[in-house]
Amino acid sequence: MSAEARSENAIIRDPAARPSLAWAIGGVLVVLTLAAATRYLEQAVPEITEGGPLAELGAAVEYPIYAIVLGLIGNAILTAAGVRDRLAGGFRTEFFIKTGLVLLGASINLSVIATAAGPAILQAIVLISLVFLFTWWLGGRLGLDDKLRALLSSAVSICGVSAAIAAAGAVQAKREQLAYSASLVIAFALPSIFLLPWLAGVFGLSPEVAGAWIGGNIDTTAAVTAAGAIVGEEALQIASIVKVTQNALMGVVAVALTAYFAFKIERRPDAPRPSPGDLWRRFPKFVLGFIAASVIATWYLGLVSKAEGKAVIGVANDLRVWFLILAFVSIGLEFRVSSLKEAGWRPVGVFGAATVVNLVVALGLAALLFSGFTA
Amino acid sequence: MAETPQERRRRTIDEDWAATIVGLALLVLVLTGVIPVGLVP
Repeated sequence: MSAEARSENAIIRDPAARPSLAWAIGGVLVVLTLAAATRYLEQAVPEITEGGPLAELGAAVEYPIYAIVLGLIGNAILTAAGVRDRLAGGFRTEFFIKTGLVLLGASINLSVIATAAGPAILQAIVLISLVFLFTWWLGGRLGLDDKLRALLSSAVSICGVSAAIAAAGAVQAKREQLAYSASLVIAFALPSIFLLPWLAGVFGLSPEVAGAWIGGNIDTTAAVTAAGAIVGEEALQIASIVKVTQNALMGVVAVALTAYFAFKIERRPDAPRPSPGDLWRRFPKFVLGFIAASVIATWYLGLVSKAEGKAVIGVANDLRVWFLILAFVSIGLEFRVSSLKEAGWRPVGVFGAATVVNLVVALGLAALLFSGFTA
Repeated sequence: MAETPQERRRRTIDEDWAATIVGLALLVLVLTGVIPVGLVP
């Protein structure tokens, strides 16, 4: 029996040692402390490394990396001290990340998408459909669990970690599957920040096509921004519009996945047909918060000056980053090596192959839809 | 210790609504200036 299992059993046997509210509050304090350290590193490291040989790396390493690494270190220390499982009540990964996603809605202006992003919408729909279905198919061929297939397909085709979270809510995936998908997204996004701008230069792509390619291909919004900025201002604008359009389609995919899992995957032959009520119960309700935040922010931006609106929405964005840091720290704190060993190499193979398909299809679509496009 | 599927589902739903309420409440506080620009580090 592992040390982890022994300590869990010890908690079950001894009622006095059961996680209490005080332990949960202690857990939240651990998460907050590590999150503050993450925020400090995220802001200080680029300044410290500026001008030195590690300047590019220092500027490119983003908060998810610091947060997960610090969470893992905290995990090791708390496990060694034998208190991690008692504090675990405070590691509210799902709550933190869902709150972060509701706040993400505030940075998505519905009217911009509706009026200025026709090609972006077309690209997003075609790209998401093709890449999602390819990943789903390949995951099936390699015998992956349906829930992990749904998570990986959403993560690679839409917007990385946040899509994986939305999909996890829709299909009720295990926390380990979510942690695994999030780790893959981050592991693949980091090199693409440098690789895609370099390839765009090698292929001689126009800034618009390069931006659409970056926005359609890189999974995390932060990495898209970083890569777009390396290519230039025009590329960054297009990359952001394409990415935001994909983010906006997250809600649609969440609804579709909810319906598919309720009606097809988890329906036993003898079970009654799921009612609209069942569908509603499974629907990830925070997606409504995400849409509401987007509507509220869009309405607000119409009332105030551009500069004021940008500054105020910037505060909402800072809060969103804080919640996502809290979530990534919690993922690190909750991580168990056994879950990675269980999953094996196949999800990495599926994710890698899907990323290559995404790269090629996104390049074709970007060249088709955005050559001759002016930002 | 182990929660039943019903308990897990209820907890997930509660977290969904909690996240929606906290997220929207924070947004309203930001837009109304209660959380001013420069306060969040």
